[in-house]
Amino acid sequence: MALNTESIPMRWPAGPLDIARRKNEKGFTADTAEVLRKWLDPATLAVVQGTPVNSLVVSWASGLPADAEQQLALKPLIEKGLKAGLQFVGVIDGKADRTAAVAAAKAAGLSAVAMDGEAPVNAGITVIPRNGHTQMRWTTNSPVMGVSNGVWPGIPQEMVPTGGPTSLPWVNSNGAVIRIARALAPDKGVWIEFDPPQGAVQPAEAYMLAVADTASFGAGWVISLDDALRADLTANKQPAIDAWKKITGMVTFFEQHEPAKTFHQTGPLAVVSDFAGSNWFPGEEAVNLFPRVREPYRVIARSRAVSASFDGLQAIYYVDQEPPEPQLREKLIAFAKAGGTLFVPSKWPEPEGQPMEAEQYFLFSLRALGKGRLAVCKVDHPNSYDSVEDIQTILSHRNDQLRLYNAPSMNFYYQASAQGGREVIHLLNYSRRPGSDGPLVYVKKPHRSARLVSPELASPVELKWVSQEAGGAELSLPSIAVYGAVELES
Amino acid sequence: MNRDLTRREVLLGAGALLALPALPAWATVPAPQAGRVAVAKCKTYGPELLPALSKMFDQLGGLDRLVKGKTVAVKINLIGVRSQRLGNALMEDTFWTHPHVIGSVVHLMGKAGARKIRVVEGPWSSPETLEEVMLSMNWKPQDILNAADNVEFENTNYLGRGKKYSRLMVPSGGLIYPGYDLNHSYEDCDVFVSCAKLKEHAATGVTLSMKNVYGSTPVTIYGEGAGVDEPSIRPHGGRGGTFHFARRMPSKSAPQQIDMSLPKDAGYRIPRIVAELCTARPVHLAIIDGVKSATGAETNYGSPNRPQAAINPGVLIAGTNCVATDAVAMAVMGFDPMAIRGTAPFVSSDSMQQLGESLGIGWRDPSKNEVVGAPISEVVFSYTAVRDKILAAKKKA
Repeated sequence: MALNTESIPMRWPAGPLDIARRKNEKGFTADTAEVLRKWLDPATLAVVQGTPVNSLVVSWASGLPADAEQQLALKPLIEKGLKAGLQFVGVIDGKADRTAAVAAAKAAGLSAVAMDGEAPVNAGITVIPRNGHTQMRWTTNSPVMGVSNGVWPGIPQEMVPTGGPTSLPWVNSNGAVIRIARALAPDKGVWIEFDPPQGAVQPAEAYMLAVADTASFGAGWVISLDDALRADLTANKQPAIDAWKKITGMVTFFEQHEPAKTFHQTGPLAVVSDFAGSNWFPGEEAVNLFPRVREPYRVIARSRAVSASFDGLQAIYYVDQEPPEPQLREKLIAFAKAGGTLFVPSKWPEPEGQPMEAEQYFLFSLRALGKGRLAVCKVDHPNSYDSVEDIQTILSHRNDQLRLYNAPSMNFYYQASAQGGREVIHLLNYSRRPGSDGPLVYVKKPHRSARLVSPELASPVELKWVSQEAGGAELSLPSIAVYGAVELES
Repeated sequence: MNRDLTRREVLLGAGALLALPALPAWATVPAPQAGRVAVAKCKTYGPELLPALSKMFDQLGGLDRLVKGKTVAVKINLIGVRSQRLGNALMEDTFWTHPHVIGSVVHLMGKAGARKIRVVEGPWSSPETLEEVMLSMNWKPQDILNAADNVEFENTNYLGRGKKYSRLMVPSGGLIYPGYDLNHSYEDCDVFVSCAKLKEHAATGVTLSMKNVYGSTPVTIYGEGAGVDEPSIRPHGGRGGTFHFARRMPSKSAPQQIDMSLPKDAGYRIPRIVAELCTARPVHLAIIDGVKSATGAETNYGSPNRPQAAINPGVLIAGTNCVATDAVAMAVMGFDPMAIRGTAPFVSSDSMQQLGESLGIGWRDPSKNEVVGAPISEVVFSYTAVRDKILAAKKKA
């Protein structure tokens, strides 16, 4: 089976190259080296047997003396894996001779190599571009795009708010980067890499969150286990086996959850940017922060905005400092004139419309434009959080499609089916602890049914609508430790 | 054992043996005024609410006497993070002043001839308009705006519609601060109304009409994200860093703390700030919504001993003196209005009401005030009993 967008990757650190790369790390011990040696043993492939994992990502060449030995040492593992239907992807990095490494990978039967920068011409093998998120790129022959610097999702301890229990905590999530990647290359799969924090044994729930934080946004986490868990799995220790079962259970859930795989992003707001160069920061910040103010939105790559559908949008936030191409500007202005609100940066040349003096906001000056509004930022480099807060205020809570209560450590991601009539709200709990009260979800649009599905539940839970006096209805959910999806049908 | 604080103890720190500076020599503290407090049974926010409030205002001498031809500022309570509710109970049924109470009060004030009614609040950390805050909770703010002529909202977390902040000084010289810089709405009014909730507070025992005034302070000056030298333009953060714990000082443009060696304990600081705010910006009418509420305060700091529960005390309390009104409210909640630090509800704080009394605002002792309407004994709803019941059930489980 060839590598494709559905492939489920797992990092498989093993062999002399991984030992050479890690031996100077703090906390590296003889035991660590032993586990890295053990995972060369083809017998360890039993770990992935019966799981959805089908692509193993191995270290292939780093320009170190251990490269050749590594490729040789991996041979039995690769041979047995290929026979078992697994695919292998070799990571080429550092100062490796890329042409030679690619040729060796091809000869060894690897399905692909992953490397940063430009792929060698006529590689003869799939080359997965593997870059940091600000340098995301894709090659024509690779079904997936690699992002090498994802974050371990959760609530970072150093960011615990000092403002008291009434603050919403900071959360680390890969959602923004994945959504941008998928907007830039909608036909590609996205593989995102990040390792568990070193030096601490992670609970199964932390890994489950890592899976959910990527899979719910339509990406694949290159599953990476901590040294202790890999050692314990090799030693067949029951707690490790149980943890691994939970992790792969979460992967299986997303494999079988049709909405997560096929639905598209939805929301009344679109963020439009090329996410390139100096536009990366404000664009990524906006995409990262709207979930914290609970504003559902779509991400549209600037290069695709002219052909993108603006149906159902109430507002568009055009992020980039340079003005859009004439055709796009025309489309954006037409959107505003038809009743939408267009948010633009301070450098927007010759703003259209007439000032609306009565509408005063901190960061944006409003201009009446046809049936809609043009909101021009007052400052060149606004604070990102202030920007999303003001955009939400200008949009008005009157138009909220969704609200989330009693879930300070949660983000949600809102998707709809292409045919309409079905929607899903992914709920991710970055604290990995169920709250004393379950989350409450407010939905403005009436639906026929709602149910909660989650790997944490034995079976789906039908949810009861509680109508609200001022319109809309609320759904009271059971507590969720890591992940749940509310499926709506109208 | 309950006892009154002496003037000296107030000045020196509520009985704590702390060597604090005395008030300035010119400081005067008037004798407390006796107040009249009306109490009414009201089980729901339905049709019985408006007549109940109307009757109470009549029992207090009539709203027209207070508001006719005047600009009125009504400080409501919308504090806490909006996304954090008590189970699926609505904020207005637990911790916030109910919109029907606000609307009814506004309506009755309009009917009594108020020239302008400005509904004010500084919702936690938020730069949003009050209308937006209300919309975010699925309220219908238009119902309040249309309840009388010339009604407007103002978020007083920042400068708002004003051109400059209003400096309101504490007549006695102050216990923590000598004065406060507030949004213009608190000066640009003839009548100031505190329209509060009958609820508890994690640090100060209770949040009633006096504590409600705490939220009048702009976070652009007193918030964790306030400007250092000048007020910030935009509100950021809560007041805890400055007021509760003195981790930082207000913007330098505002009156500064009298003595930097004052305790950094919320139970010491908040009651004093509240009491002095109530003398800097006197409350003409205190209204407490106790129709529905909650035990345990909106933020119980995770204390398992302070369980939260939605409750239905079914009572409204109003008075022309905030200390007297709060004292009656405490009695309704099953607390001793004469309680001091160390006794419920002031487990770890001084009594705002006691401090208010010492600053001459009014009497706590119900016998020194006139209580009209429903007898307190008929409307007592013990918050402690509810909490004890929950704790006992938990223990049993």
